[in-house]
Amino acid sequence: MTQIPPGAFAQPGTSLEFKTGSWRVQRPVHRHRAAPCHAACPAGEDAQAYLARVEVGDLQGAWETLVSANPLPAITGRVCPHPCETACNRGQYDEAIGIHAVERYLGDEALRREWPYPVPAPGSDAPRVAVVGAGPAGLAAAYHLLRGGCRVTLVEALAAAGGTVRTAIPRYRLPLDTLEAETARLLALPGLDFRPHTQLGRDVSLEELRSEHAALFLAPGRRKGQEWNADFAIPGDLHTGLHLLETWVAEGTLPDHPGAVAIVGGGNTAVDLSRVLRRQGVPSVHLITHQRIPAPGVPAEDVMRANPREVAQAVEEGVTIHEHRGVRRLILRGERVVGMELVHMKKLPDADGRLQRVAFEGTETVLHVDHVIPAIGQEVDPAGFEALVERGRIPVDPWWGRVQGQTHLFAGGDARGDHGSVSEAVGDGRRAALGILAVLAGESLEPPTPPEPVPFSDLNLHYFEPAPAAREPVLPPQERRGLEEVEGGLDLHGVRHEAHRCLSCGECLACDNCWTLCPDQAVLKTRERAADGSHYVFDYDYCKGCGICARECPTGYIRMES
Amino acid sequence: MSAETARHDAKTLRHQQPRFRGLEAGHRACQGCGEALAARLVTEAAGPDVMVANATGCLEVFTTPWPQSAWRLPWIHSVFGNAAAVAAGMEAALKQQGRRTRVLAFAGDGGTFDIGFQALSGMMERGHDVLFVCFDNEAYMNTGVQRSGSTPHAAMTNTSPPGTARMGKRHMKKDILAILAAHRIPYAATASVAYPSDLRKKVRRAMDTGGPVFLQVHSPCPLGWGHDSDLTVQVARLAVQTGLFPLVEMERGELIGTLPIREVRPVTDYLRLQQRFRHLFAGDFRAEKELEHLQAIADRNIERFELRGGGKERYDTEGADTVHRGGDRWA
Repeated sequence: MTQIPPGAFAQPGTSLEFKTGSWRVQRPVHRHRAAPCHAACPAGEDAQAYLARVEVGDLQGAWETLVSANPLPAITGRVCPHPCETACNRGQYDEAIGIHAVERYLGDEALRREWPYPVPAPGSDAPRVAVVGAGPAGLAAAYHLLRGGCRVTLVEALAAAGGTVRTAIPRYRLPLDTLEAETARLLALPGLDFRPHTQLGRDVSLEELRSEHAALFLAPGRRKGQEWNADFAIPGDLHTGLHLLETWVAEGTLPDHPGAVAIVGGGNTAVDLSRVLRRQGVPSVHLITHQRIPAPGVPAEDVMRANPREVAQAVEEGVTIHEHRGVRRLILRGERVVGMELVHMKKLPDADGRLQRVAFEGTETVLHVDHVIPAIGQEVDPAGFEALVERGRIPVDPWWGRVQGQTHLFAGGDARGDHGSVSEAVGDGRRAALGILAVLAGESLEPPTPPEPVPFSDLNLHYFEPAPAAREPVLPPQERRGLEEVEGGLDLHGVRHEAHRCLSCGECLACDNCWTLCPDQAVLKTRERAADGSHYVFDYDYCKGCGICARECPTGYIRMES
Repeated sequence: MSAETARHDAKTLRHQQPRFRGLEAGHRACQGCGEALAARLVTEAAGPDVMVANATGCLEVFTTPWPQSAWRLPWIHSVFGNAAAVAAGMEAALKQQGRRTRVLAFAGDGGTFDIGFQALSGMMERGHDVLFVCFDNEAYMNTGVQRSGSTPHAAMTNTSPPGTARMGKRHMKKDILAILAAHRIPYAATASVAYPSDLRKKVRRAMDTGGPVFLQVHSPCPLGWGHDSDLTVQVARLAVQTGLFPLVEMERGELIGTLPIREVRPVTDYLRLQQRFRHLFAGDFRAEKELEHLQAIADRNIERFELRGGGKERYDTEGADTVHRGGDRWA
């Protein structure tokens, strides 16, 4: 046998003795960042996280992730204007993920399969917290307080829970049985004492509640339709839009409005009522708003406050929307309305930069209508807590919702006066509950730093394929006559398609890119399959810090750090 | 040891990787080395029962700093020009011994296009069962960036500097695949580090085909090409997407497959990232002319190989490396 001299060979794999990691000036790290959908959700949902669970087929896990923030997904999946989808990075690539449809599907599945809420029964010495108002804010607060180990007394003036969702959202947007089922499941949670027909100020006082409970959350809503405070003559039989809408939702019918009707306002009440009137057979329904129909490129402060989907569907159903118009006066013959004088109007900044409505002289037009319905907003009914209300709202700390000058009193939902959607109310309830839990634990309340969402430019889009969004079935406009739900939702196939389209912004996809593309075998893979990056380990002994893994990471989850 | 500590113990984890580690960590390649990535991918797909004959070059130098070696497979280096001849001898000896171990020959573009060409041509002609892999980084990088037969037209190297007389390399990149195809070998293909699934598929196909087979892997060199180390894959991808480095497969000299380009990018997207083409962006008429020249070369490649997407191919430059949750690549 030939002897090979020692200088002519080396043992395999001995290069491991040399730690090339010492060359590195920058190192790759796994850094989870909030996806834009997460950062944009008023209720605090991490849609990216539950879409990832859906994609791997774990529907119950997805629902549990979802209800760790929002206990009402079957409701919000239907009625929320979904700012998550507006923020979705995929919208800049092809089409945003249909997050609302996934949320709705998970909510419905939970109802159908009776998945239990992840809430433990409270201990015998659990503190008692009172929640006033069983609307979305109150229900969310009660749920998160229960999750935090409290007992909750939930006080509601009406006969059933739901708040505005029950009284003023038409059934074709939210079927009654969905609302009943989801609220009933929450009300049945252990430790929750639900007291309907109990109005603050009439059946119970604020002081009573305070003496019996460790803390208080007020979510009375804005239940009073704002009266028209106009400097022109108005007919005596005027009803507010909210009143008519509530009547229709409760009774399914409205007084006849033959001829043409004008609704003044651009919020959800105005749009919902316009659609209800069309369903009632009113031939000509006009919506007068000083703002604009939501469309790409229209600045946010100039857009109607109503849910954009609802506005589009109202237009489909034959509602005429007059944008950038204000009402100058009503044209009356006796007590009867025969028309209204409209004027072009726009919000423009004044000397201090604040937006003010400006009417343009010489642009007046006359609209012939037989009825006028103001739907210009709602107010807080301050009965029972008059001292807390300031200029029609309860002033609170914007993040936690603690009432100014109070320690154990929080408020949220529509009564805050600075926002008005169901998801925002759910978010108020959740944050207030967390605030109450912190206060009861003796901690101080600091507002958290808002998450910095992953920008579109941080994704590596080469690794994704364009795919059209799944479309949910929508009832054709000519068939929208009764209470039948307009939007049909997605089936499991569609929901998984949407989950599969998710770009997983800021979170590991476990796609193997870093492991495949490291020239230095410095990315190692674990046997466990995880979705949080613990699937891969950087071996800093050998990582030279070239940055390929960070550059080629599709989701922006790997960052280079000095 | 608990599961938690095991998960983060890199030493243990390294030996549990679900792939063959033919080329181990600790090698001395520069940051972001395309060749190291290419060699890692090739040995993963070809191994473990293989032997390698390596020509002189970066790969030989950075993997075997004596007394260490980064290889975990039998590996031999002789001289610059004879990798194919050594591999041919190894193959003959293994055949004589009745062993099934396969032989790979690794060389850079210098060891393939220029210095090793005679041995390569002879090995192909004699029909040895060897996969010859050329890691094409388009110059003599190991000796300090001198031009080779593979250096593309107009690129700056230390022996093809741009100046008053020339705009970088005067000559064209040698069409090595056509020369190999002229040997009527059973399989010859080009691949790129930017398309690892495609690369692995081609290695496996070559190994399955047997006989003298050839693979040319485009491997960016951050130092020699003058781009940031994190851009290696990006640069390689753009070479394919512009049409400057077409990914094709040939059997017995006939074109049998291409990776179609879904969206053809202008060559400037590729050139702009690299210092070796910096002089082409000086804005004068000579630079403009050379840019047009390179665009014409890319256009010709696209035309000749019918690379424009939209055909029957399921995998094109966009679809070939789509990722999925859980890492299930198509190859």
